[in-house]
Amino acid sequence: MRGFHKPVPATVWALAALLLAGAVVLPFVASPFHLRLAQQILLFGGLAVAWNLLGGFTTYWSFGHAAFFGLGAFAAGLLGQQLGAEFSVAARLIIGLAFAVAISLVAAVAVALPVLRLRGIYFAIAMLAFAQILGEVSKTFDLFQGAMGFPLPLLKFPGLEKVQLFYFLFLLFCLVSVAVFVLVKRSRLGVGLTCIGQDEDTAAMLGVPTERYKLVAFVLSAMLTAAGGVLYVYGLGFMTSETVFRIDISLNLILFSMVGGIGTVAGPLIGATIMILLTQVVLGDLLDLHMMLTGAVLIAMVILAPKGLLGLFRRAWSRRRLAETVEATP
Amino acid sequence: MTLLTIDSLTKQFKGLRAIEEVSFTVEPQSITSIVGPNGAGKSTLFNMISGYLKPTAGKILFDGRDITGSAPYRVCRQGIARAFQISKPFPELSVRENVLVAASFGRLGVRDPMATTTQAIDICHLTPWANQPAGSLSIGNLRRLELARAIAARPILLLADEPCAGLNEKETRELTDVLSKIREAEVTVLLVEHDIKAVRRVSDRVIVIEAGRKIADGAAADVFADQTVIDAYLGTTAS
Repeated sequence: MRGFHKPVPATVWALAALLLAGAVVLPFVASPFHLRLAQQILLFGGLAVAWNLLGGFTTYWSFGHAAFFGLGAFAAGLLGQQLGAEFSVAARLIIGLAFAVAISLVAAVAVALPVLRLRGIYFAIAMLAFAQILGEVSKTFDLFQGAMGFPLPLLKFPGLEKVQLFYFLFLLFCLVSVAVFVLVKRSRLGVGLTCIGQDEDTAAMLGVPTERYKLVAFVLSAMLTAAGGVLYVYGLGFMTSETVFRIDISLNLILFSMVGGIGTVAGPLIGATIMILLTQVVLGDLLDLHMMLTGAVLIAMVILAPKGLLGLFRRAWSRRRLAETVEATP
Repeated sequence: MTLLTIDSLTKQFKGLRAIEEVSFTVEPQSITSIVGPNGAGKSTLFNMISGYLKPTAGKILFDGRDITGSAPYRVCRQGIARAFQISKPFPELSVRENVLVAASFGRLGVRDPMATTTQAIDICHLTPWANQPAGSLSIGNLRRLELARAIAARPILLLADEPCAGLNEKETRELTDVLSKIREAEVTVLLVEHDIKAVRRVSDRVIVIEAGRKIADGAAADVFADQTVIDAYLGTTAS
């Protein structure tokens, strides 16, 4: 929006292009193990970016985004069972994605109307409860087959291994998330959301339609998360309630954002990369330590760098610039 | 034609009747002041006009339209802006960005946010601090930022809630000058203020509220000479 955002500098474009080129080449050079790591970084990084659409700008921190992740997965999976043999796997996936996004739109609006009136911690808890309820419902009623689970058809693409194919799907998902986030951030909506994050009453007083903006951000975030859920279970080939309605998914999205830098586009991606590499590679053989380390990192970040690594970097940068100006002044 | 009509407005909080059947009108391009002791219900009145509280009974008409119970952002879009008594800046945004938000949203209609922002910052003498984060300003500057933001919303009616509270004499004078300038820009001002000197200097009309009721309404000189007002609010020293 005019006056708030400068044009994206050429160096950032160049860096983004370089990263993208690297990401496209990677599946043809990396081992399947490393590719699976990259898959997770792209999927959960993209989901963390989507979470930031509301939680990054405002203090409305959803602790239950797994709700939309699971809702999307179940919507697509169950609809796929109803489709006849004449539908190819690719068609099932695309129809499933569309259906999951539509269902999550309706669900997000229905949930937002009461829940977005709650502020701060109450919103967080309400979302946590919402995710738990959906998880229980999917397990309890046989209609949803969540307790036993069900398989999903195997998607194939000529010339690509399965791990490569899903790598590219997750890459695409991540790019869509990033694009949506950047567009929102640089628009009127983003400016309004930033103001809501700083002081909601004041924002309303200055004419920002706070209720509508929060709703739009929440719904966009939910729709992207549902799409991520669909891709995730198609990648697994099998799903139960336990694979998607997972509280650690909800919490990781927040953790990744906090580690990298909340409210930024690069932050959640950096956070996802660091945390996934740390827990799966460095501590790959020490599964019991994962959660402990995750907790320790979270506590350290909240105390030492509440704005994440990007915030830390920015502060150091502006200090250096200040020091240079002071030295330059006679 | 009157700009704002308050028609037997009442607000009941559980056992307390904060505002009781208050009626008055505000004429376009005037400065009207509301005065009264602490707890008289002045802020409750402002909160109802700006949409934060829904009245228990009564009507608020603005520019011929019924705005009773409208959401705050709608009230702002119609052309009522408010400067809070306790400054509520967006602390991490710069002074300029704070004002720019008001200029980019605010009243509906044709906008030129950049020009409006520069002008509002200039009128309120904030140019030297324009690029500082709002969270780093002093009280006097914050108060003027609050006003700058309110006028950048291009209001027809400005609600100013004790803009002079806690300011010294010089700062108060600067601020009342700003208020006069705002009126010259054809903005109507409704002011809640304790500083009687400031009220006398700028007001076309004064309304006195005590314990939720209106007890006087008229030109400043007449109202402050009224025996009921002296007894209820000013005390004997003011005469």
